Amino acid sequence: MISKAIKIQNLSKRYQIGKRKDGSLRGTLTSLFSRKKKVEEFWALKDFNLEIEHGEVLGIIGKNGAGKSTLLKLLSQITFPTTGRIEINGRVASLLEVGTGFHPELTGRENIFLNGTILGMSRKEVASKFDEIVAFSGIQKFIDTPVKRYSSGMYVRLAFAVAAHLEPEILIIDEVLAVGDMEFQKKCLGKMKDVAGQGRTVIFVSHNMAAVKSLCTSCVTMSKGQLVYQGSVTEAIKHYLSTGGDDSIYTPDNVKKDQDVYFKRIEVQDKDGENTSNFTCDDAINIKFHLGINAENNPFNLFVTIKDQHGSPVFSAEKKIQNEEMTLTINSMFLVRGNYMIHTFVHIPNVIQIDIAEDVCQFNLTDSTSPFAIHGNYNYGNVFGNYSWK
Amino acid sequence: MSKTIIDANNTNFLPNLRELRQYRDLFITLSWRDFKVRYAQTTVGFLWAFLQPVVYLLILTLVFNRIGGIETHVNHLVFTTAGYSIWAYFSFVMTNSGNSIIVNGDMVKKIYFPRLIIPLSKAVVGLIDFGIAVLILIVLMIANNVVPSTNIWAAPLFILLGVISALGVGIWLSALSVRFRDFQHVVPFMVQIGMYVSPVAYPAEEVTNAVPTWAANLYYLNPMAGVTQGFRWSLFGGQAPGGFMWISIVMVFLIFLSGLFYFKKVEREMADFV
Repeated sequence: MISKAIKIQNLSKRYQIGKRKDGSLRGTLTSLFSRKKKVEEFWALKDFNLEIEHGEVLGIIGKNGAGKSTLLKLLSQITFPTTGRIEINGRVASLLEVGTGFHPELTGRENIFLNGTILGMSRKEVASKFDEIVAFSGIQKFIDTPVKRYSSGMYVRLAFAVAAHLEPEILIIDEVLAVGDMEFQKKCLGKMKDVAGQGRTVIFVSHNMAAVKSLCTSCVTMSKGQLVYQGSVTEAIKHYLSTGGDDSIYTPDNVKKDQDVYFKRIEVQDKDGENTSNFTCDDAINIKFHLGINAENNPFNLFVTIKDQHGSPVFSAEKKIQNEEMTLTINSMFLVRGNYMIHTFVHIPNVIQIDIAEDVCQFNLTDSTSPFAIHGNYNYGNVFGNYSWK
Repeated sequence: MSKTIIDANNTNFLPNLRELRQYRDLFITLSWRDFKVRYAQTTVGFLWAFLQPVVYLLILTLVFNRIGGIETHVNHLVFTTAGYSIWAYFSFVMTNSGNSIIVNGDMVKKIYFPRLIIPLSKAVVGLIDFGIAVLILIVLMIANNVVPSTNIWAAPLFILLGVISALGVGIWLSALSVRFRDFQHVVPFMVQIGMYVSPVAYPAEEVTNAVPTWAANLYYLNPMAGVTQGFRWSLFGGQAPGGFMWISIVMVFLIFLSGLFYFKKVEREMADFV
């Protein structure tokens, strides 16, 4: 075939953060009459070019905020580009989540039809695949029960079963595999391999490098709204890890060399001492502080707070500074999935603070193996509890 | 093989009818979902759909006829029921399609389909309540020996006009309330005021006889003024609606078409705002 499956030219998407578009009438009216235009602009995607061949199974990887989700939203027409052009040859189905439009009051059967038509199938198509969908989900017994009575695991199974039976020419998937238990994930991966094997074009965005490796034939690395690398999967992952390294190392803009104690560098590492900002909940996380010490026998403490993505402190640790290198180890199965950052300072408690690094070294944890992983997006807390049952 | 072009420079704001047709199954499913959900949770179910209008109609007749002394050429309760049935349909559809995009925000953010399907689908579930109101009307007509007029052929036309005007206002509101959340608070206000500035419980002639022509023109800018009056004329006959009604009918189409245009304009960035 001569034409490409997808051709993206000079694609950009600008978001405006600021007073004007806060969605209130008053905000818009006042900005009409005020001269000051305090509109902050943010380019989620900037001059992005990409061509995807028919039958390609393309992985898209990149840090949070690299523009992956924006790209997917533009490709699936959820939002509209600021500049540029996309040409898509073929019927597209995009799965940015599973179970879109599911209504708790309706039964499993009814939701299959609802979700199927939302995903672009006709009622006839859904009806013809209905038995297959139910069999794949494995919840035959509850098909006429309202889904509000389902467990979250059952809900996800049913939702994925509908999605898995779409037959588009181009399939766009965003991390839907991060749900369900291991066995079900395997089943989903298998189903996706089938889809890819049938010569369809698949675009797959994920943080799960293992899944990208096993599924994709080629891969794109994105960073800061731009394409960094396009080519083989292994090369792309290398690029991803090296761009990810930006965040795993923090070096102050101006090192306070004349202080008694100061930060030289902070690194986030895995158990083998490799710099990374991507962990799973099973990993231990090492945070290595490189300090400069001018005064021996100094009275200073190092204080570290780990904050979650909302900026709320999760826990803190404090230690007297004795060496130029100090490593804080966060044990595995303590932090739950999510994004974290480090807030740290050097101080004498209640007396003086002489150096500080605020909200640095973002790192993230994904969860696919903990007992809670099957609960999907349910917010089960900030940490894995330290408890026992009797 | 289908081909999709997304171009930032595309300034075509006409609704894509072919695409809407492709998604007609979604329209059916969404309408049916609303219907199921509406009556799934209430124990009184359909009874509730009867009870509400009956109580409301009795109050309207009490206030306008017994207290206000408004006289009508057919029994006032029958008269009001006819006006109320089409007005209630209008306000129901306007309210529900008006906030439909915001209510379905999760869906809008996660998947593409012509967004217009959402407000449009609200027109169907409203027909169920309308049907119930018409049933009440028929019972009352039989009980009061009211015979339908020979204009009855025009009733479907006025119902259709009611559907179009409800959707027109609903589409406008659904797009506006995405951009400006304040409009969510405007809708209940419009519903309350709207019933008094539409000839629901009084004949429209009461207004045109009482005010100067310019004020009557203003009154008929409300699309439901002409639609309600026309619908009732088709049922009971009486004085044929005059030239004023055409103002309302022009408004119906003006609001609907401009609504489609504005919706299409906002549609592109809906997911960024909801």
